[in-house]
Amino acid sequence: MLSKSQARTFFISGTLACAVAFVGLTLDTFRRIPAQTRAAAITPDVARGKELWDHNNCMGCHSLFGEGAYYAPELTKVYERRGESFIRGMLTDPEAMFKGQRKMQKYAFSEPDKAALVAFFRWTGQVDLNGFPAKPPLARQATPSRRDVPQPQIFGQLCIVCHSLAGQGGNVGPALDGVGNRRDAEYLRRWLRDPPAVKPDTRMPKLGLPDSQIDELVAFLEAQR
Amino acid sequence: MRYESQRIAWWFFATCMLLFGLQIVYGFIMAFAHTGHDGLHAFIPFHAARATHTNLLVMWLLCGFMGSAYFIIPEECETELVWPWLAKLQLAALVAVGVTAIIGFHFNWWEGRKFLEIPRPLDYLVVIDVLAFIANIGMTVWRGRRLTTTSMVLFFGLLMAALLYLPGMIPTNNQTIDSYWRWWVVHLWVEGVWELIMGGILAFLLIKLTGVDREVIEKWLYVIVGFTFLSGILGTGHHYYWIGTPRYWLVVGGVFSALEPVAFLGMAIYAISMARRGGRNHPNRVALQWSIGCAVMSFVGAGFLGFAHTLPQVNLYTHGTLITAMHGHMAFWGAYAMLVLAMIAYTLPLLTGRNLYDSTASVFAFWTANIGMIAMTLAFAVAGITQVVLERRLGMDFLQVQTEIQVHFWGLILAASLFTLGILAFIWVFIRSGWPVARVSAKGDASDVSALPLADQAVQGA
Repeated sequence: MLSKSQARTFFISGTLACAVAFVGLTLDTFRRIPAQTRAAAITPDVARGKELWDHNNCMGCHSLFGEGAYYAPELTKVYERRGESFIRGMLTDPEAMFKGQRKMQKYAFSEPDKAALVAFFRWTGQVDLNGFPAKPPLARQATPSRRDVPQPQIFGQLCIVCHSLAGQGGNVGPALDGVGNRRDAEYLRRWLRDPPAVKPDTRMPKLGLPDSQIDELVAFLEAQR
Repeated sequence: MRYESQRIAWWFFATCMLLFGLQIVYGFIMAFAHTGHDGLHAFIPFHAARATHTNLLVMWLLCGFMGSAYFIIPEECETELVWPWLAKLQLAALVAVGVTAIIGFHFNWWEGRKFLEIPRPLDYLVVIDVLAFIANIGMTVWRGRRLTTTSMVLFFGLLMAALLYLPGMIPTNNQTIDSYWRWWVVHLWVEGVWELIMGGILAFLLIKLTGVDREVIEKWLYVIVGFTFLSGILGTGHHYYWIGTPRYWLVVGGVFSALEPVAFLGMAIYAISMARRGGRNHPNRVALQWSIGCAVMSFVGAGFLGFAHTLPQVNLYTHGTLITAMHGHMAFWGAYAMLVLAMIAYTLPLLTGRNLYDSTASVFAFWTANIGMIAMTLAFAVAGITQVVLERRLGMDFLQVQTEIQVHFWGLILAASLFTLGILAFIWVFIRSGWPVARVSAKGDASDVSALPLADQAVQGA
């Protein structure tokens, strides 16, 4: 039967062996982190972005690299998913986009601060995370009704936040399937320039898109029949 | 109670009760926010409530560990505490730092690093405070008349916990490195050295409550903590899957964290078999219930539910969802909250001289709190699984999924209300027991079965 001194030897030797292995792996990991995280791309702007991220406890609601709280969306790939103008919009006035929905604190970020946070998110999106976050394996792929009018990039980043197409997207605004049957190009153009001017009680904010993007979107939306 | 200075433990335990109560209030604020009722948003936004909820937990558990150490060490080492005044000063300082930190959270003063939100200047004060505590305990062990395994395991657990706080303070501008060191603190605490503390306290309670021979209990204590470190140290790897560290952590973390339930299962079997072996009935049955409950619930919460989402293939989809909250709640409750409550349940009659252990409130507290916590875990589980399927597997939008799972947070609030009733009953017993005025007696715990003549013990230990 096991004696007390044998048990002690098991405890001490096992712990030591594991601790040595752990320190060894840590040393190796630190050798590899600069390449895997593209540490060279951590500009002063990115570093400032991380500082803002920490000092406002963004992790208290959001998650980054999947770490944080589960009250607000995961932000590792937010730059790729939503684009710069959406991020700036949220940082300026979080409630403009999601009126009456779950609230985010309104911060008085300066323009350089916003640029720093955008730079930080661009960097986090480029870190090699061994496949996280995974693409949803069971997601339905939206099939455009007309293939000759390609989906503009801004549609996938911005419009989809509140509207859905073929079942993919948000449910704040109405679904856009067949919107071309209901609205003509002229209406869509007026609407996209300034929604509250067309319909004062709408929840959709004025997005301030450049004309070139509005043209692209009008052509795409009109083709949805 | 054999030594005058053990009385200090009561003040630490009273602080525990206060902070635990406040922690629950902040939990409710978050649960209501999840159901869409965020009326306090302007004063206590979600991230402030969350930082307060988790930091209060850490603080009251540390208070509980310190109080336990101040009770156990003099008794094990058969000597008075070296500097009782330092213990009082150190508690007052800890409370002052904690209160400052929590008020600061409400005014956007923090570090924003999950679980380590306390701002840097206060970090240094925490370190100084803990060093004072370690020095006090260490000197008492050094000057003690008896050196026991239980006190050594407890002391080294506390010392390592203090040292492991330091990596979390290494500055960096790389999020990956930041996260890497943060887990050195958080993981190596809760799945490493805190289990050493847990093992030490549990061993002390089992020695006192079951009357099994110290040699037998301490031998198995080595085996259990051996398994803990064998799995726990390299098991840190399960936090290094997706943060920008090499791919081999998927294998290292996966394999070693799969072993973690073994350590917890060992702890549960150990507690149950020692209690059965003891045969002799200590009148403070509720304390034994809390002790064994602690070992069993930590296996379910930390061991089993942790394993449920620790494999990389599963974790890829569950990482950063409410599944983590499910595991976290029962793990902390089982392993650490119940441990401190067990220690309080055991020491309270000895400190105050009033035996309320077989009162209805004591028994009600144990069962209601545990049933409430199991129901809370189930509510989190249903919400979490739904979130994983809809958001991570089907690709639905985050906010849309949150609306879908709102109903489960009403379930959570119901379960949490039950849990709160149990905790209120526990606090009620604590208050009714009164001030720590029990007379010191050379024989200590009159019903201490380990204080029986040696002949009796030999029979039990066989």
